[in-house]
Amino acid sequence: MKIFKALDSGCHRSLKAWKGVLVFWFISLCLVSMVALPMKGVMKTGLGQSAITEKLMNGLNTEVISDLGILSKGLFRYFFTGLMISFLLWLLINAFITGGLFNSLKSNEEKFNTGEFFRASARNFLPFLGITLIIGTILFLLALILIAVPMQGVISTENPDESVPWLILIISISFYILVSQIFVLVADYARAWQVKNEKPDLFRALRFGFSRTFSRFLSSFPMMLIIWLIQTLFVLLVFKIIGIWKPTSGIGVFGLFLLSQVLFYIRFLLKAWRYGSVTSLKELNDPLPVSEATVKI
Amino acid sequence: MRKLFFIIAFLLSLSGGVNSQVINKVPLSPRITGYTINAKLNPKAKSVEGIMEAFWVNQTTETVPDIQLHLYMNAFKSCKSTFYKESGGTPGKDPIDIGHVDIKSFTSKDGTDFLPLVRYIHPDNNDKSDSTVIEVMLPKPAKPGDTVAVSISFVTKLPSKIRRTGYNGDFFFVGQWFPKFGVYEPAGMRYRNIGGWNCHQFHANSEFYSDHSVYDVKITVPKEYVVGTGGMLLGEADVDANTKVQTWRAEDIVDFAWTAWPGYAVFTDKWRNVNIRLLIPKTRLEQVGRQFTAIKNTLEYFDKNVGPYPWPHVTIVDPPAYASGAGGMEYTTLFTSESFYKIPGSIHLPEMVTVHEFGHAYFMGILASNEFEEPWMDEGINSFLEERIMDHYWGENSGMIDLPMLKISDESISRISYARSENRQVVSNNEYSWNYPYGTYGMVTYQKTATWLYTLMGIIGEDATNEVFREYYKRWAFKHPSGKDFVNVVNDVVKRIYGDKYGPDMNWFFDQTLYGTGICDYKVVGIVNNWQNPKIKKDITSGRSMAIDSLNKSVARLERAGDLIFPVDVLVHFIDGKEIHESWDGKSRFKDYTYYGEKNILWVKIDPDFKIRMDVDIINNSMTENPDRVPLRRFSDKIISFLQFFISIVTL
Repeated sequence: MKIFKALDSGCHRSLKAWKGVLVFWFISLCLVSMVALPMKGVMKTGLGQSAITEKLMNGLNTEVISDLGILSKGLFRYFFTGLMISFLLWLLINAFITGGLFNSLKSNEEKFNTGEFFRASARNFLPFLGITLIIGTILFLLALILIAVPMQGVISTENPDESVPWLILIISISFYILVSQIFVLVADYARAWQVKNEKPDLFRALRFGFSRTFSRFLSSFPMMLIIWLIQTLFVLLVFKIIGIWKPTSGIGVFGLFLLSQVLFYIRFLLKAWRYGSVTSLKELNDPLPVSEATVKI
Repeated sequence: MRKLFFIIAFLLSLSGGVNSQVINKVPLSPRITGYTINAKLNPKAKSVEGIMEAFWVNQTTETVPDIQLHLYMNAFKSCKSTFYKESGGTPGKDPIDIGHVDIKSFTSKDGTDFLPLVRYIHPDNNDKSDSTVIEVMLPKPAKPGDTVAVSISFVTKLPSKIRRTGYNGDFFFVGQWFPKFGVYEPAGMRYRNIGGWNCHQFHANSEFYSDHSVYDVKITVPKEYVVGTGGMLLGEADVDANTKVQTWRAEDIVDFAWTAWPGYAVFTDKWRNVNIRLLIPKTRLEQVGRQFTAIKNTLEYFDKNVGPYPWPHVTIVDPPAYASGAGGMEYTTLFTSESFYKIPGSIHLPEMVTVHEFGHAYFMGILASNEFEEPWMDEGINSFLEERIMDHYWGENSGMIDLPMLKISDESISRISYARSENRQVVSNNEYSWNYPYGTYGMVTYQKTATWLYTLMGIIGEDATNEVFREYYKRWAFKHPSGKDFVNVVNDVVKRIYGDKYGPDMNWFFDQTLYGTGICDYKVVGIVNNWQNPKIKKDITSGRSMAIDSLNKSVARLERAGDLIFPVDVLVHFIDGKEIHESWDGKSRFKDYTYYGEKNILWVKIDPDFKIRMDVDIINNSMTENPDRVPLRRFSDKIISFLQFFISIVTL
């Protein structure tokens, strides 16, 4: 019951913080545009005034891309470098903005205040970055232990039964997804605790995150799984839509851009929903302050 | 007992020697060589013990003083073999890892011991540490019509690192395993001025060359093993409680290989009169339908466009993943494919390997060119056919990959590999397989050849190209064609169909593509639209403005930036929708097409149908006054979406 209460409350909180989510979306758009637009420029230069673009109407054409020659190599290099740089930058930006977002989600009543959003972002930046790095490292090591090591083992044994590596891979990934949600929950609890705490304290936040995750495991973990499932289905749907839709007119392309950005905004809302639900669940499980408890009695 | 007697008698009558016919009523090839082998697999020692009786008939008009045989398996003896020196790496030091063939006895039919006469030779590079070719000086030279019959007892130890042949655990692929005659080429055959044996060492980048032969092979294996060979199964009998012996017969093929593994599941199917047998790991059954579809399509395509498949049997071996080194190899009536467990249907790799390897039944199986010396004739021509088949049956733009977001044709992979290679001008196709420098063998032999054959098809048309292959088959089936023979067939067919349209012959094409290293690059360098005398003139006396007689001049400027010269089509499109087709002989460095009185040119395309596949840059083949940026904007939108989702997913 608590789970659904928390999910419902998380939903309301995230919708209330739509401006914060808008900030999230806008910064992400600016960041990735810094990678995507130069790539477009490179392709534009490479294709020049060629009429070959008609071969690109039905999607990527490997021959055209490869005939860009040196430019295509640069394009791929730029893409992967851009991917890495955006990831690293986003790590910092995400740590900064989630500080504000968690802050605006901590109450069901308070209205969204932009000034307070950025103040909280700045205040919580370092502990949030610390939480991200520590939990991120744990998740990375877990991936090595739970996926890479068993796969390496099973491949090196050269088992004639070819279904075994496949089965091990599916089991490893499934298990990793389950275990990783525990650590995501730890991070969310830790951040929810941090925004309530005036002073930045990374390790106390993490301690809280771990203790609350495991002390309230039966209520929190299923909630995380529900959220994960909905988010995953949404992402798959989005990839399907964006992947298949190949508009061939200027208006169509603009429509694709609008749709993809709306979907991406929804994706951020879903993330905020998770933050809000965990915050709400934390509050539901917190012992009431003495004064409030007295009033209720 | 009586029944058994009749069965044995029947089998003996069927396998009544290499000179009788069992599979086809009449021999498809001259009986130059033949082999009768009694082979026993020793799974523990990872070896095959064999007793072989073989013959070579001197069907030439020359007296031949010696015989030469390949001992291919000795390539895996040590890292000092020519094979390992060229490829790098090592077969290992442990006796269980290395591969070799040991001749225990070697006698002539009349009992003369040939063993003391055996001498290792190194015809290609005088590499004394290589032992893959032997020569025996005959006590009596073989006169025209003579038969040299030999009896050899040998043990072939298989290598643990499977490079086409070898073992892994209880999996065995037994190829290049028995002492095998080279090809005696008399003067006048292929490029020979004087007669001699063509018996090359085993190289890393080379395959094989053999006469078509008849094989009678008995294989003894433990009972639980499933055996596949390039022959037809004539019978099976128990040797004892644990072992069985199978009798196989193959006719008119250039090599005999076999596999044995307890993990195979066997499936059969039929295309017309051809019995198809598929050996596949038991865990990979979802690939069975794909393999049968692939081979049936290939049989149909070859039958229609090249010539009939002359055997009533073919065996596909799809080896397990841990023995994938055996995958993708051809032995005419047996070939190995390469599928993977759960490989998605949208990735046509298993089909591609099956189509390609089966294709070798024609290109060097039936049309037995010399793979050592002219590898383009089998790998290149076969790649061309493979790509046509893949793109014909699995989609013109999706022959290789057919995903919603990415479609790749099989042919485009070849063209890209050639056109984008930094080494595309280093060496021509006219080179021995082991002489290709720094990794150019695959690109030049497979991809460049396929690309220039596509270009040839672009010039002479698809029907004429099919006629070339039908004629090539008709003239050279079960013989040893050389490159010049193929060129002659093209010249004759093109002349027959087109007369002198492309000149007295097509040598100009082959000189540039097969024997040359130049590149092809035609480009549009500019579109010029302007009015002659465009000014409005003012009449001095009346003061009125009046237009003087004016004429629109529009020019399409083209350039031949590469060395290769091909006739190309040019399509000029004007803003009023009018289009003019031009035919440019492609010879001059620059070419202007000038039009007076037409509207402005909107776009120009050289080779609008992309027939000249050797053109290394298709982007500069066209120019437009109004480039369509929609695909670029869509591309950028998708990149933005992908990156946004990526960063949102990988961060907490």
